[in-house]
Amino acid sequence: MAVDESERNFEHPLYHYWENMPGGGIGMTSLDRLLMHSARHSLWFFPMATSCCAIEFMTAAASRVDMDQVGTIIRPTPRHCDVMVVAGTITVKMAPRVKKLWDQMPEPKWGIAMGSCAICGDFYRDIYSVVPGVDTIIPIDVYIPGCPPNADQVMVGLQRLQEKIAAQLAGKTIDKDPRPPNMIYPAIGTHGDARQTEATATGQLEASRNLGYGGQEHRVPVAPPKPPAGDAT
Amino acid sequence: MTLPHREADVTLPKPARKDPHVDLEKLDAAADLMAINMGPQHPSTHGVMRIKLWLDGEMIVKAVPYCGYLHRGVEKLCERLTVVQLTPIVDKHDYVSPMTNEQALNIAFERMLGLEVPRRARYMRTIIAEIQRIASHLLWLGTFTLDIGGTIGGGASLMMYTFREREAILDVFEMLTGARFHYNTHTVGGQRHDVPVGWPAAVKKMIDAVDAHMPEYEQQCYGNDVLVLRTKGVGVIDRELALELGLSGPNLRASGVDLDLRRDEPFSAYDEIKVNVAVATDGDVYARFDVRMREMHESIRIVRELIDSIPEGPICSQKPVKVPFAVKLPAGRQFYTAIETPRGELGTYVIGGGAEKGAAPYRLKFRPPSLHAMSALPYALVGHTVPDVVAILGSLDPILGEVDR
Repeated sequence: MAVDESERNFEHPLYHYWENMPGGGIGMTSLDRLLMHSARHSLWFFPMATSCCAIEFMTAAASRVDMDQVGTIIRPTPRHCDVMVVAGTITVKMAPRVKKLWDQMPEPKWGIAMGSCAICGDFYRDIYSVVPGVDTIIPIDVYIPGCPPNADQVMVGLQRLQEKIAAQLAGKTIDKDPRPPNMIYPAIGTHGDARQTEATATGQLEASRNLGYGGQEHRVPVAPPKPPAGDAT
Repeated sequence: MTLPHREADVTLPKPARKDPHVDLEKLDAAADLMAINMGPQHPSTHGVMRIKLWLDGEMIVKAVPYCGYLHRGVEKLCERLTVVQLTPIVDKHDYVSPMTNEQALNIAFERMLGLEVPRRARYMRTIIAEIQRIASHLLWLGTFTLDIGGTIGGGASLMMYTFREREAILDVFEMLTGARFHYNTHTVGGQRHDVPVGWPAAVKKMIDAVDAHMPEYEQQCYGNDVLVLRTKGVGVIDRELALELGLSGPNLRASGVDLDLRRDEPFSAYDEIKVNVAVATDGDVYARFDVRMREMHESIRIVRELIDSIPEGPICSQKPVKVPFAVKLPAGRQFYTAIETPRGELGTYVIGGGAEKGAAPYRLKFRPPSLHAMSALPYALVGHTVPDVVAILGSLDPILGEVDR
């Protein structure tokens, strides 16, 4: 939504090596299909698990809803993983760590926002210390709404991601998923203290801008402070 | 303190414990200690927290826990919302046992306002709280054994078994409230959802299944030399230190203090039943593990005792709430009360007469047991190695949603 898609690079570095070889185009197409096919059926998850949704994500990985049956596995290090699952509230203090861990993951990579806190901040969205939506920090491909979503819904989100990868494999252009319609809040601070609204909006906006991405579409833009009257320069 | 005239032959008593708050410049004069951070994204920290460790070789000489990575400003949020709207907010504090959080909050309001709770609602609360205790301890057992990797067949195997039982418990809660995780079933004056048809039978079936599998867990844990060797004598918190730090719940009872608010200051229907409190004296990781395992047996017994004798009657003493301003708190009155949750003493401190013409509290402060459990880390970690950190942290069972709020 808010993140520049052109910065994302889905191409494997091996492609450029193949491209310069004679007849490499045919091989490259085959390799492309092979790699994407493999990635689709062996997604490794990096759990960016902070709060309640983490327990439900563990449930999805545990005995009843066995996520391993579709080839996923949870690894606690970002360098092994394809998919980052942001499960839980992301605070301003945690946000730089999320961005850093996302940057440590190798391409191609996908992001899943699980739960309403990760999607939009939910009822913490106008609190001074909470980032209103993790898509202001990292690009998100699939949204799984719920508070927290059931373990079955996690599987549905996983299916949605596999569909997107399959569409990519078929050469289609992939549009980014929108936020769930009831989770695009026009303004923050709507039920809060009116005196705090502007300060909170400024603080949260600066916090997400300082991480390299600017996510301000879903909230009221805050006017820059007026310069003092006597300052002519 | 030395006596000047007998300086040579006086041996001062050894300090009872090492002070964890040593000056690092004095400790690390040669600057050869290694400082490492565990967290905030570490799979064994049960949430987002950071422990900074100063290591001499592999031995920990100083440890400082940092929290605040999940600070959601809940106490500030509670000042804006009315009493009726607060119950789903506190679900998210201790997200492993949301039922007892709701219970603590609503008991605080009821005691402050002097409201009576019907006997049927009190029985339901007690049953729900005990089932929630089993669910919470099952999740703790799964993650604890996953962390220390000591069960038969590798670390993750026991977690798969405990989640099987936990799912059965969540099914029972879903049958009662319609929600799997955040229930919003307690309200001021009683319960929101009445017992559905067939619920006692479903609870009994679930309890029988959990009870049938308990020997399986005990065989995997008590009968496993690896787990026993990794936990005995590790992370000792003695009785005085535990009392000084304000530990509560299983952490305190593992240090030899026989204190349980279910028996000592009964709430809900605990005054009508007998609660056998599990106490251990060693204060190490094994003792905390042992106390929790015995508590699960006790909870199973209490649920079995109560489930057949739920009295008939209303489930709430108040009228059904249609507007959020239905319950008002008296202005300027302060009240503190605490109940026993699976993690210990969860206190709620309320000052009445806030926003929305008195329907919101002026101030709402929680006393989370996990925060006090985390304060024991600098004392318990010193002198151990890095692999022991996850065992000690897992045995204290802090939930970071409750610590940071």
